[in-house]
Amino acid sequence: MAFVQNVPFFSIMISMFSGIVSSVLPGKAAKWLNTAAITVIGVMSACLLGYMIDVGGSYTFMMGHFPAPWGNEIRAGALEAAMALAFCVVMLLSMLGGRKKLDDEVEKSKHNIYYILTDLLLSSLLALIYTNDLFTAYVFVEINTISACGLIMIRQNGRTIEAAVRYMIMSLLGSGLLLMGICMLYDLTGHLLMSNIKEQVASIMETGTYRIPLSITIGLITVGLSIKSALFPFHSWLPDAYGYSTVSSAAMLSSLVSKGYIFLLIKIFYRVIGFDIICESKIINVLFVFGLCGMIFGSVSAIMEKDVRRMIAFSSVAQIGYIYMGFGLGTTEGVVASIFHILAHSATKSLLFISAIGLTDVSAGSRSFFALTGAGYRNKIAGVGFTVGSLSMVGIPVFAGFVSKILFAEAAVLHPNIKMLPTLIVLAISTILNAIYFMKTVIRIYVPEKKSVIAEKGYTTVTMSRQKLYTVTIILFVLLNMTLGMMSEPILHIIQTGLSNFA
Amino acid sequence: MNNSIWIVFAVFFPILCGVAVLLLPVFRERIKLLRATGTVLVVTAVLALLVVCGKEQELLLLQFGENLKLYFHVDGLGRLYAVLVSLVWVLAGIFSFEYMKHEQEEKRYFGFYLIVYGVLLALAFAGNMITFYVFYEIMTLTSLPLVLHTRTRDALMAGMKYLFYSLCGAYMVLLGIYFMNQYAATLDFTAGGSLDMARVSGHEGVLLVIAFFMILGFGVKAGMFPMHAWLPTAHPVAPAPASAVLSGLIVKAGVIGVIRTVYYVIGPEFIRGTWVQTVWLILTLTTVFMGSMLAYRERLLKKRLAYSTVSQASYILFGLALLQPQAMTGSLLHIVFHAIIKSCLFLSAGAIIYRTGKTRVDELTGIGKQMPATIWCYTFASLALVGIPPASGFISKWYLATGSLESGISVFSWLGPVVLLVSALLTAGYLLPITIKGFLPGAGYDYKSLKKLEPAKTMTIPLAILAALAVLLGVIPNPLTAYISGIVSAVL
Amino acid sequence: MSKYWILAAILLPVIGGALTPLLPFKKRSQMMIYLEFLMLATSAIVLSLVAHGPMEIFEVIYFVRGLSISFKIDGMTMVFASLVAVLWPLAMLYSFEYMEHEGHEKIFFMFYSMTYGVTLGIAFASDMLSMYFFYELLTLVTVPLVMHTLKREAILASRKYLYYSLGGAAFALVGLVFLLVYGDSLEFVMGGVLNLEKIGDKTNTLLLVYLLAFMGFGVKAAIWPLSSWLPQAGVAPTPVTALLHAVAVVKAGVFAIIRLTYYSFGTEFLRGTWVQVVVMGFAMFSIVYGCSRAVKETHIKRRLAYSTVSNLSYIIFGATIMTPWGMTGALAHMVCHAFMKICSFLCAGAFMHQTGKSYIYEMNGMGRRMPVVFGCFTVSALGLMGVPGLAGFISKWNLAGAAVDSGNVQAYFGIGCLLISALLTAIYMMSIVIRAFFPGKEFDYSTIATVKDPTWKMCLPLLVFAAGVIVLGLFSSPLIAFFRDVAAGIY
Repeated sequence: MAFVQNVPFFSIMISMFSGIVSSVLPGKAAKWLNTAAITVIGVMSACLLGYMIDVGGSYTFMMGHFPAPWGNEIRAGALEAAMALAFCVVMLLSMLGGRKKLDDEVEKSKHNIYYILTDLLLSSLLALIYTNDLFTAYVFVEINTISACGLIMIRQNGRTIEAAVRYMIMSLLGSGLLLMGICMLYDLTGHLLMSNIKEQVASIMETGTYRIPLSITIGLITVGLSIKSALFPFHSWLPDAYGYSTVSSAAMLSSLVSKGYIFLLIKIFYRVIGFDIICESKIINVLFVFGLCGMIFGSVSAIMEKDVRRMIAFSSVAQIGYIYMGFGLGTTEGVVASIFHILAHSATKSLLFISAIGLTDVSAGSRSFFALTGAGYRNKIAGVGFTVGSLSMVGIPVFAGFVSKILFAEAAVLHPNIKMLPTLIVLAISTILNAIYFMKTVIRIYVPEKKSVIAEKGYTTVTMSRQKLYTVTIILFVLLNMTLGMMSEPILHIIQTGLSNFA
Repeated sequence: MNNSIWIVFAVFFPILCGVAVLLLPVFRERIKLLRATGTVLVVTAVLALLVVCGKEQELLLLQFGENLKLYFHVDGLGRLYAVLVSLVWVLAGIFSFEYMKHEQEEKRYFGFYLIVYGVLLALAFAGNMITFYVFYEIMTLTSLPLVLHTRTRDALMAGMKYLFYSLCGAYMVLLGIYFMNQYAATLDFTAGGSLDMARVSGHEGVLLVIAFFMILGFGVKAGMFPMHAWLPTAHPVAPAPASAVLSGLIVKAGVIGVIRTVYYVIGPEFIRGTWVQTVWLILTLTTVFMGSMLAYRERLLKKRLAYSTVSQASYILFGLALLQPQAMTGSLLHIVFHAIIKSCLFLSAGAIIYRTGKTRVDELTGIGKQMPATIWCYTFASLALVGIPPASGFISKWYLATGSLESGISVFSWLGPVVLLVSALLTAGYLLPITIKGFLPGAGYDYKSLKKLEPAKTMTIPLAILAALAVLLGVIPNPLTAYISGIVSAVL
Repeated sequence: MSKYWILAAILLPVIGGALTPLLPFKKRSQMMIYLEFLMLATSAIVLSLVAHGPMEIFEVIYFVRGLSISFKIDGMTMVFASLVAVLWPLAMLYSFEYMEHEGHEKIFFMFYSMTYGVTLGIAFASDMLSMYFFYELLTLVTVPLVMHTLKREAILASRKYLYYSLGGAAFALVGLVFLLVYGDSLEFVMGGVLNLEKIGDKTNTLLLVYLLAFMGFGVKAAIWPLSSWLPQAGVAPTPVTALLHAVAVVKAGVFAIIRLTYYSFGTEFLRGTWVQVVVMGFAMFSIVYGCSRAVKETHIKRRLAYSTVSNLSYIIFGATIMTPWGMTGALAHMVCHAFMKICSFLCAGAFMHQTGKSYIYEMNGMGRRMPVVFGCFTVSALGLMGVPGLAGFISKWNLAGAAVDSGNVQAYFGIGCLLISALLTAIYMMSIVIRAFFPGKEFDYSTIATVKDPTWKMCLPLLVFAAGVIVLGLFSSPLIAFFRDVAAGIY
């Protein structure tokens, strides 16, 4: 066993312990610890990724060398490592980008709490990625929920509390359903380890008994996780939660938290139930339809929205719809596209949130769409960031969004039956809708505002030299986006081999 | 030196001179303008006659695309038209020297007058459909300023109407040319037609529709129903000499176009006995009758003459539609006679307007006493148009009628002559009252207010020549008839 | 010539343009010289590349799964690239004077010259993806030009333009993906790249996809019912409307349609199917629709824009005949229309610039005061009408010839549409000419006594384009022969 194979275990532990340690540290030290932890984990994940690509395949890691059912297992492969790396990178950039804003929005005394929650969030995300045990997964889903709630609520005003409560209720509903699903699965199979359950499920399918309970189980798990990842029509908590929390929270919530659940769902589909069985069940068609509806509905809501942050949040609903639509196709190509879109969307959406905050800040903090007039000139780098994010969302070549769009379309074309045309047409329409609200905003931020209005409303101008960290963050985000857009070949390769290792 | 180069001179000399007249400020001086115009007119006429009298010749001027050739070929029909154009153009030009005194912007008028002369000569000498079409369209555009000349609101509206009707016709023709390019062996004018029957077989239906469109398209210029409405609007608003050439010659360009299409490209055999011929005959007879009726009811003299042109041009088309040698001879004769007669009539009307300013027929009581020479000319021309023997109109109508009777097309062989006769009566009815009232103003006429208003010699001499020709060509028709029979026998 | 010259041609105006606002020009004239030099240098490179003949594929950026940005030079490239290369420096020259009073011209010139590079990218693109890439970029770099005045209507227009274009590209992408799956490659090969074995019984689906992609690219080519952005985009400064909305952008749409039809799906696959009937029907309707709207319009630039709608569909009509001759006609009209429309637009711009007026009823009597401008306008108007001896006649001759030759009855009616449109063209163009030269008896010339022709910077391009219209009309044979070779796949 190579040394580097310990990475998954240590990365979960590092993040967890840094959270625990932070509780006694002052805010500033917690900040550095947090940054260091994320960076270290990122570097470690990168090493693991390199190693796994080199070795190929995947391995299980028994904690404390106890075999199942007593011990707890971790499983890692190139795909997991890649996801971990991506999550770390996005999280690091989101934290950096929102750092300045955090000082304004959150009381000094609560800073270390914020970093604790972030550390916990990271640990739970990593656990969701690596775990090979359904119950462990459940536990970390809960930790994830709690830390996410805290991140929303840390900025204490009426709207965030309301949003957090709403999020809490919906999330717990989702966790409850998930728990019920896991219980029933345990009941049916007698195992909690993923690989063991899969064997049992296969034999259940062969004998033909317990078909209906199994379907219900699949349904419960799927619905539970869809609620948590805000699939249409379970998205009502999302706009407020993303729209009113602090910027780093919004960026992380939209690009990481929901994606963690989705990744878990993929694992359950492939590793627990078996993709063929999922495809046979009707649940996949439901996901498909919800996905398509989400793509349209999210965009239409975004078009009607006048608050720029909520607009971006609604756009997430649409993008989550894309991802579920990819599952719903029920083909490997579809899932590959979905996973790529998870990456592309997290890189893009966090960029959008971070740059939006830069734009609203120079517009006297007003988030109204109309206040953004000319904001692209007042904060140049934020304008560039927002433009790049928008172009990526619309699917302009060179940026990440284009690749996922083309992958989705290709998956649809390769689909053998009726789902092909609806997918393509909805894809095209949703692109147009995306173009409408993102480009409308881009044009708005580049239409100069009258001098008198600027003076009257107290708009300010920020130069790049006065916000070096922010500038660097945005540039890195843009580069990340372009990397995904232009060098997608190896990433796709990792995703494909990872999926084949899952099965 | 190559003989055929004279064609280029005949065509482009007046065009270039016209452009020069338009552009050079030297010609703001009236004397210089008139001298130059007169010289150019005469020189061009001489050049044209040189070409006409020379032997049969051809010239490929420019190839501007595959099958797109500017190609001149002097044949019988072209010679006839070229002579006619030169005759009327020079006479009407001389007439306008005096007439244009009371209109403004003579420089522009004479410039375009010269240009159109060249264009019409090119039409006459055109050796293929493309060349014909090119100059046909240029003719429309360059004659437009003549219609617009007075710049009154009426004139502008009439000009637009003229332009759009003409272009509409031209485009119908163009549609046909597109198809002919594919289905005819060559677009060069070939007596008897050049359709390639091997290519045509299987597409006869389409080609008949196309042939119909081409006839209808050229028919627009010739004022054939249902596209005649522009003619009575556009001709009267132009200055009188311009009306004369518009009615006398430019209308005939449409007729020539029909002849070229039917007899030289598509071939009469292709159309004979088909629905195209039937519909064409119906349209021409309708126009003949309708034109006369409208002329009879019209009160404005120039407009009345314009309606008369509508009617008379369709005499010619009727003869062509019969696809019969006698009738075609009649048609070609009527082209010549009508051109001379109608220019004479319009010029007389112009002379009246110039001297008295009167435009309505009922104001012209006693005009014969005031301007006897003009009205005599008018009378002779009228009689010729009505077809009183021995004046020229009689000859052409005789040929038309006999041709019709011999054609053996069931109803039309007798219906045609009947309509022609009725129309002739109507012609008498709308032309002769002016003479009668003009010379015999009735008892109540106040002879004391009578003034001699005879116009200048430059106006009366052209009138007299035209009127004389209108009569004399009827008295001695044989050389002309013989020449025309030669053209006809080649194609039918 | 080295293949890297292609990159140079594309990047030179893009980078050079992007530098314009950054360079410290002391005087306006220095900037003008710099820009004009940039344009001329690019054009020189492009023309020498084209003169050098076809060039093999040259890959620049590799994306994923065989998707790459790559360039090549083939017949279509030569036509489009040289067309653009000839027009751009002249339009630039014109805009120096025009833009003098329009404000923030550096930004304008930056995007104006970047557009040149991007348009060249479309021309040189060797496969569907590369073309798609530059096609999207073209949308993006031209939006700032449309909203240049920053007035409310300009912003609305640019938004509409953006939505329409990006939306259209989304549908084009669907076509691209289908080609990716059912074709041998995305490369442009005369005759198409579809693999009939892979298609199997999915022919109808592919035809539907062709329709979607056709309409997608058709947005830029302003085909009905996706044309309404074009007249609205007329709020842009005239050099933009003239060069971009009469040539570069809209012709890029047409270019893409020809690529799609002849080089990707292949005419063999499409000819005689229901989809041909549909696309030709759209083209025919657009031809008549554009003209009819033009007749009703009283704003000079919008009238010309509607005329463009109609004329672009001439080209599309030619392309949808789906025979080599049809493509010849389409290419011929692509070139001829470019000269005629840019000429008429620049004349309209000169009129607006010199008088500050923009409606047709305000043009009375201008012919006498601005003889050069209206002389050129008359030439272009006659050309658009299709008067023989001018450019429009040649292209219509080829279009109609192709239609007759194809034996397709629908195409016969298409000729009818062309001629109806020619008549309507006469109405909307000649009414301007007549108004300008024959303003009516009561017109008082002293009201426009101060109006005069603009300086040589504006007049020279006008005269060159007008001369181009005439030369194309009279000496088109070699050009048409070249187009015929292109359509036959020789280049």
